[in-house]
Amino acid sequence: MSINHPEIALIPYARGELSAEERARVEQHLEGCAECRALAESSMGVLRKVARFVDETPEADWTAYRIQLRRKLAARTEARTPWWRSAYAWSALVGAGAAVAALLIAISLHRPPPFSAPPLDQMAMATEINDADLGLLKNYNVVEHLDLLENYDVIERLDQTPPASQQGNEKSS
Amino acid sequence: MQPELTDEELCRKVASHDSQAFEELVERYQSRAFRLACSILGNEADAHDLSQDAFIRLFESAGKFDGRSSFSTWFHRILVNLCIDQQRRSKWWKRMLPLTGAGDDPDAPGIEPLTQEPEPDLQAIRGESAWQLHTALARLSPHQRSAVIMQAEGFSSREIGTVLGCSESTARVHVHRAVAELKKTLKDV
Repeated sequence: MSINHPEIALIPYARGELSAEERARVEQHLEGCAECRALAESSMGVLRKVARFVDETPEADWTAYRIQLRRKLAARTEARTPWWRSAYAWSALVGAGAAVAALLIAISLHRPPPFSAPPLDQMAMATEINDADLGLLKNYNVVEHLDLLENYDVIERLDQTPPASQQGNEKSS
Repeated sequence: MQPELTDEELCRKVASHDSQAFEELVERYQSRAFRLACSILGNEADAHDLSQDAFIRLFESAGKFDGRSSFSTWFHRILVNLCIDQQRRSKWWKRMLPLTGAGDDPDAPGIEPLTQEPEPDLQAIRGESAWQLHTALARLSPHQRSAVIMQAEGFSSREIGTVLGCSESTARVHVHRAVAELKKTLKDV
């Protein structure tokens, strides 16, 4: 066929889709072209067959179809919900937390008694003794000969000793 | 009695997650969507799933409907695109074989089945001529098949162009070529 045949416009023409100008042009062509008239007719015949084919598609069970659609939509909405708003995520988090707590309790119950370190004040005292100047103890012989009780009598009669101020007054008088 | 809401009004309600409006739209479009998907895919199970997926997309993106086209055109665009994508995915392995055509190009000719064994259900339930047409449609490219099925279903060339994302004149070419190919195939069988 030559390019002057309006083949592509034949179906739109038959379906009334063309503008007035296009329609007039195709009509004029069809009056003198049996080949295009036959082509238009056979093309519309094929479209009718296709339409029948589509119409004969078996109907689905629409109630079941809509129930399934609702389920899919609900699942999709759930999947798109942020995790922190999902009940599933929260229950998983709570479960995980409980499991960790139970594990920690179990470990602490079965743990061997811990090494008991000496109290801090004892450690401090030991350090102090070590650091102290123990020169006298090192020279124990000197210490041994000290008469620590040489003033014992004075100490024994300490309650009978007049106060220091009174002693001063007596000396002055 | 309240006047029936238009599809566009229902869609606006769906945008604000009105489930009743959604149910109403599903009831209006379920049969046509399923028929169209089934004819494009040639498979009832896939048509069932994909038409439901199209409704889910509708629910999720109703707010994007801007009213530039009719609701019907907008919704069928979602549906037909899902069908075309599904066909691309299902044929990925055939791209690995020599002498295969379609690949990612929806305008490329469809892949001729290696065997022409009839599907028992289709042949038994719908008859020989239905099976011949089914086979002939399977040979078309996804765009040609979608275009000719939509044309037969009463869509205008302009609507087909909008659904397929091409111009009206390209849509006419798709329909013309599809019809020519169907004539040829149906004469051969």
